[in-house]
Amino acid sequence: MSTVQLTQKPSETRVEPVYRAPFPWGRLGIRAAALSYLVFMLLIPLAVIFQDGLKEGLGEFWAQVTNPIAWSALILTLWTSAVMTVINTIMGTLTAYVLVRYQFPGKGLLNSIVDLPLAIPTLVTGVMLVILFGPQQTLGAWLKDELGFSIIFSPPGIILALLFITFPFVVRAVQPVLIDLDRTQEDAAATLGARGWTVFQRITLPYLFLPLASGALLSFARAIGEFGAIVIVAGNIPLYSQTAAVYVLGEVESENRLGASAVSMVMVAISFSLILVVGWLQRRRLKDKK
Amino acid sequence: MSILLEQLTKRYEGHPVVNNISLEISDGEFFVLLGSSGSGKTTILSLIAGLTAADHGRVLLHGRDVTYLPTQQRRVGLVFQNYALFQYMTVADNVEFGLSIRKVPAAERRRRRDELLDLVGLAGLGSRMPRQLSGGQQQRVALARALAYQPEVLLLDEPLGALDAKIRAELRRNLKSIQRKLGIATILVTHDQEEAFDLADRIGVMSFGRLLEVGTPDELYQNPQTEFVASFLGSGNLLLGNISQEGVRVGPLRFPHTEDIRQISSEGRVQVLFRPEDVALAPTAEALDCPELGQAVVEEVSFGGAFERLRLRLPPIPGVRPISPPVAFGSNSILVEATRLPDQANRFPLQAGSRTWVGVHRIHTLEHPGLSFMIVSDGSRRAEAAVALGGQIARLAHARVTLIGCGLEGEALQAHLQEARKQLGSGLAALDVQTSHNTPAQAVTLAAEQQPYDLVVLGFNPQDDLSLAEQILQVGEHHLLLVPNSQPVPAQALICVTSGEPGKDDVLFAGRLVRHLGADATLLSVIPAYDKSPDLLKRTENFLEGGVQSLSILGVPAKTAIRTGVAAEMIGEEVSQGGYDLVVLGLPLTKPNGKVSLSGVVEQLLNNITDRAILMVRSRYLGARYYPIMVRERDEHKNSSARSTQ
Repeated sequence: MSTVQLTQKPSETRVEPVYRAPFPWGRLGIRAAALSYLVFMLLIPLAVIFQDGLKEGLGEFWAQVTNPIAWSALILTLWTSAVMTVINTIMGTLTAYVLVRYQFPGKGLLNSIVDLPLAIPTLVTGVMLVILFGPQQTLGAWLKDELGFSIIFSPPGIILALLFITFPFVVRAVQPVLIDLDRTQEDAAATLGARGWTVFQRITLPYLFLPLASGALLSFARAIGEFGAIVIVAGNIPLYSQTAAVYVLGEVESENRLGASAVSMVMVAISFSLILVVGWLQRRRLKDKK
Repeated sequence: MSILLEQLTKRYEGHPVVNNISLEISDGEFFVLLGSSGSGKTTILSLIAGLTAADHGRVLLHGRDVTYLPTQQRRVGLVFQNYALFQYMTVADNVEFGLSIRKVPAAERRRRRDELLDLVGLAGLGSRMPRQLSGGQQQRVALARALAYQPEVLLLDEPLGALDAKIRAELRRNLKSIQRKLGIATILVTHDQEEAFDLADRIGVMSFGRLLEVGTPDELYQNPQTEFVASFLGSGNLLLGNISQEGVRVGPLRFPHTEDIRQISSEGRVQVLFRPEDVALAPTAEALDCPELGQAVVEEVSFGGAFERLRLRLPPIPGVRPISPPVAFGSNSILVEATRLPDQANRFPLQAGSRTWVGVHRIHTLEHPGLSFMIVSDGSRRAEAAVALGGQIARLAHARVTLIGCGLEGEALQAHLQEARKQLGSGLAALDVQTSHNTPAQAVTLAAEQQPYDLVVLGFNPQDDLSLAEQILQVGEHHLLLVPNSQPVPAQALICVTSGEPGKDDVLFAGRLVRHLGADATLLSVIPAYDKSPDLLKRTENFLEGGVQSLSILGVPAKTAIRTGVAAEMIGEEVSQGGYDLVVLGLPLTKPNGKVSLSGVVEQLLNNITDRAILMVRSRYLGARYYPIMVRERDEHKNSSARSTQ
């Protein structure tokens, strides 16, 4: 019976046409505005850098990048950023865990302070670190005299500055996931005999992996381009404490536009690929959630 | 003894959610904790598993005191309501988790895992991820995981709650056979009584943190000891009757003493329970083969599968007061639930609207708890008035009385209590005298935790005692009688109500109390002067009329009054003109933070009416007791589990 009806019905049913406005200017206008803004503000400047860096050909571009001072600046930038990322990942996770799981006085204030590095001008960050660790200062002098370890005008200073400015990235990536996490799985693990660290590592951490990775990569990408804090802290000593961003400024000032563009291009390429990875990670997290 | 709980207590924000629970569960027993949500049953599992720390009492597992042991060392298998499978591990890894934590060799682990997956009927699905399984399958994995490392006891927190009916029935059978096979002591928590009857060797019924009764399903169904269990387990008809030398009497029903009727006391009021299947229906009174209750109209017939379910409405019967099914507000007829087997239904078919005679085959009697009062006394003049009036009302109501003396020291206290005891004299259902060195508010809180009271009687002076009254109403379930000075037993009660659900509760409790005093009642509603809508007047009239009906079934003659104006003024006017000696006020809604506050209209009234007793009635709907606890229980659980995983 029902199958007969089914085969008869479709011929009778009329599909209502979907209503469309005759002239969707509004919708198209909004799209056009957003896209042209994006192109004008982001894509054109980026394209210009690439065009500029490559205008003398690949060989010249490569020569500019592998010039010892430029190369050392790039390598320094990458390794300090990498060290910062490792420290930031561990400490950021710890901070987020403490902020979510424990109750203590002043927690609300502390939670707000986490975002402070985003608001402080990075130049000021550099000045703060110089005041704290500079060789003329008590702490800096003590470190240098007693341990022969100098922070300001050397790579450790760069790492400190980077840690300061990227502090919020991992914390803010991990925190919401920890808040939303269903705690019964941890309870279940505890009844099965698992203790704190095991529970964290085997039950909690898998949930944090993707947000951690995207937080870490974001902070790495941010660190590569850092200028303000480093130019004060690192002292700009070529082949020792000059980072890529500072090198680019030097090249611009000495009117080597090609050198500036070439190194900029490398920095942009690294950052851009990192951002792509972060985007992919975030999409995967959404898929995992479903 | 596999599981032994001794006086286990857990408080959240001062409210006991698990209140002084003692329980023994023997080896291999399947025990079911049954109660509605918020009754504290899940918290008991958390306490046994060590996910929540107890405030008081001990937990012993196989004779080992684990009260202060961390969860990891308790050897407890816990299955959660939401399964709580580890989402990032395969089914096999989930099951093996407990074993790998204990460093069991891989070969042994695999063997045990396969054995368990086989046991729960999931063999061959070990490589799946949890999200690839159905709800029922996930729950089986959770069970296998909990059993893998051979826990000493198994705790199941509403394990079948989230599944559909068919899978639930199937899993229930599996669960029972697995439990039998392993012989492991098990506690299952549920709110589903069918599940409880099906699975349990014994059932414990919980309500508001208290374990009311423990027994086999059969015992609890046939011989419940408390009103709550009688009406919570299965459907039942509960009426108030009298017991004497001759037997039990409920209106026209007479039952001689038999073995069914438990000898409770030789005389006095009892609750009479009969189950739907004990109800007989016949076209004529003569055709009934058992004592008859009366003629009823069939209100509703529904199909119950193997039997037919009927709801019958009887006109009011002198001397019969129904307790359950509850009579709707504004109605004075009696509802009776009945079931019939198909052949009975065929012989005497009934539809909604048909008339039938109703008889009762078999009854079970329960002790009628009556009312219980707490009288607080600090030896002051107004406290003496409270003791005097409270005692007289208690005597008329056959209420049990607890007298709490506080605020006095040593000999003065003893002398005062001696005097009070003399004054309360005989004729009370029970008298318990306690002394407390705490403040009156603390003393009331502690006493109300020990046992619920219906009424707290307090000597009251609006200038000094307002915050004390608020604190007393903040805890427990009791209503509050404020006695300003020496008062006669009330003969005229003014019940001030606003139409709505809380107002219904106010009328019903006031009726329960006033009926014993032989007093008349007046139901007063005040309509604000600015609200001129005829609709409101109509609604108020209907509501008050309903109140009169509800009071009539309690045997309280009542009339109604409606005044227009400002509530506090109008009530004051009515009080001064009407010759009332008891004023009944509903409590205002609690504040959003759960606190009771009497400021506003109530405070004005308390300040103005200084020479009459005032009864403050707490409605179920005001939220002081119920809402905040349930919400906080959940939050607290989150926090406490953080502690256990550190």
